[in-house]
Amino acid sequence: MDREIKKTSPLNPLSKGEGANDETTKTKMTVTINSSPLGRSGGASSIKIAGAQGFYGDSPKAAIQIAKEKGADYLVIDSLAELTLSILQKDKLKDENLGYARDIESMAYTLFPVAFKNGIKIVTNSGGLNPGVAAKKVATSLEKQGIKGIKIAVITGDNLLPRLQEMQQAGLTLENLDSGVPLSSSASEITHANVYTGAHTIAEALDSGANLILAGRVADPCLTLGILIHHFKWNLLPSADGEDQRARYQNDLDKLASGIAIGHLLECGGQASGGNSYAEWPMDYSISNLGYPIAEVFEDGTAIFSKLESQGGKVSRNTIREQLIYEIHDPSNYITPDVIVDLTAVKIEEIEKNKVKFSGIKGKSRPEKLKLSIGQMEGYMSDQFFFFSWPYAHQKATRFIEAVKEIWSTLPVNIERAEFSLIGTNGIHGDAAPLPAKEILDEINEIGIRVVVKHNDLKTGKICMQSIICLGLNGPPGLIGIPGWGKTDRLMLSLWPTLIPREWVKEKVEIVES
Amino acid sequence: MKKIKLLEIASARSGDKNNVCNIGLMARSPEFYAIIKEKVTAEKVKTHFKDLIKGAVIRYEWDAIESLNFVCNQALDGGASRSLRMDTLGKNFSSHLLRMEIEIEA
Repeated sequence: MDREIKKTSPLNPLSKGEGANDETTKTKMTVTINSSPLGRSGGASSIKIAGAQGFYGDSPKAAIQIAKEKGADYLVIDSLAELTLSILQKDKLKDENLGYARDIESMAYTLFPVAFKNGIKIVTNSGGLNPGVAAKKVATSLEKQGIKGIKIAVITGDNLLPRLQEMQQAGLTLENLDSGVPLSSSASEITHANVYTGAHTIAEALDSGANLILAGRVADPCLTLGILIHHFKWNLLPSADGEDQRARYQNDLDKLASGIAIGHLLECGGQASGGNSYAEWPMDYSISNLGYPIAEVFEDGTAIFSKLESQGGKVSRNTIREQLIYEIHDPSNYITPDVIVDLTAVKIEEIEKNKVKFSGIKGKSRPEKLKLSIGQMEGYMSDQFFFFSWPYAHQKATRFIEAVKEIWSTLPVNIERAEFSLIGTNGIHGDAAPLPAKEILDEINEIGIRVVVKHNDLKTGKICMQSIICLGLNGPPGLIGIPGWGKTDRLMLSLWPTLIPREWVKEKVEIVES
Repeated sequence: MKKIKLLEIASARSGDKNNVCNIGLMARSPEFYAIIKEKVTAEKVKTHFKDLIKGAVIRYEWDAIESLNFVCNQALDGGASRSLRMDTLGKNFSSHLLRMEIEIEA
């Protein structure tokens, strides 16, 4: 893979006149940047990495506490769930200067200053579809607070939208991984195309002294692996042929695989430390200030997971186990850009309260191809919620839905699909959930109704919802439904996953100094 | 023989990858793992979810953590960004699996 490291001239965040006012000058404070690579972890042989956020929009509270207590050397912020690029693309369609995870704007004031002050580095894919703009926003915010000397690395190259046509002309059919059909068979408009990239750019950016890394679609666990490669100098690729080299590389492959597994455990924040947990239900610990997972990683690729003692949550064999299995398919072949991970011989041991040892991960050579996620326009959806109370709540709701169907069947609009569910009986699991007995349904306190339509234009949703408001006076008694509970014309994007040869991917690391 | 719900002997977590939902079923003990390994087949899971899962269910055994992983294809109404469902991400596939009843020695 080709790549280049480019140093640009320092950003001048005040060049557009932004922030160049008296107030900014007055509020400037002195922050000493501690560049020590190892804050307070157990010596040069280990390194502490914390999962600082589990998704775009997650609270920064847990990470701020970790930064304050110097609980880690690095914070990993994974903002990009599979769905997130679609959300960011919706932003970017409205404004070319958006498309990144916007919560980094507030984190630049809440989390980043305390992290940098304590010598903690931050690695994130919050750059989303627009890492360059994200870096400018952060640099401006830091400057406004008088924080200087921060090196921000911008990692790009995952955006392959401009090259899709060229790829197809070169003979790539871009077959859908799920359905097997070629991209040419789909008429839907393409909105974005981003390839999942590996850990090497993260490692290179850290080698260049970056304090903050803003990447695009670097695969979630590769954020962590990049830190470990930087710190332990693990080999991503075999350096030469020969029996001895191959044996050494297998050793490195196991470490890389372990790094990925550790990254996977950190990437969903509180989900590894007692959040969203059936295993630990009824959760006999605080969840309002849940501590996020911290991995102390050793050179051999093993790790000890913990959390801050001052925070809630729990780190147990159960909490680590349930996050390990989350969004994994074949546990013997977890495919990532840098290594194929075999998790089947994993060892998860509780060594003391809230401390779990993690080992036993094996690696296989990286895949030949990388995953490209192509976004496509899918039209719009509109939904609305209604409620009925006792008596006859279930009967009234059923009757209401019949009336809605009748009204919609007479409208001069094109409803592509409509779905109706009863919140309280089948709202979440549809017909797979057993319907409660008639005696229960007859006496049930209340039932909610959700109606949802999929449509291809911007008038159908409004017309549909407007057309059924009359049922408030004309329908079953006691209908409750406030316009605005639902949402009209939500843009729907579908994802087209495919595989492409690595040669098409050319990443770039750019260092911006504030 | 007596009927029990999986909830009594296991926990679960589910999540999404586009239109695929995976459900990790984690036994609460090695003894319970032997039971779920024998009783909770891919076919049984597919049937239990009725119309929610339109494609094939593949089961992976994960002995090291006493768990089964069910990979359910065409399970999320096209995927989270285009699904008309309330649980677009399949977070509650875990809950529904835990509701499954199996028969064990009394």
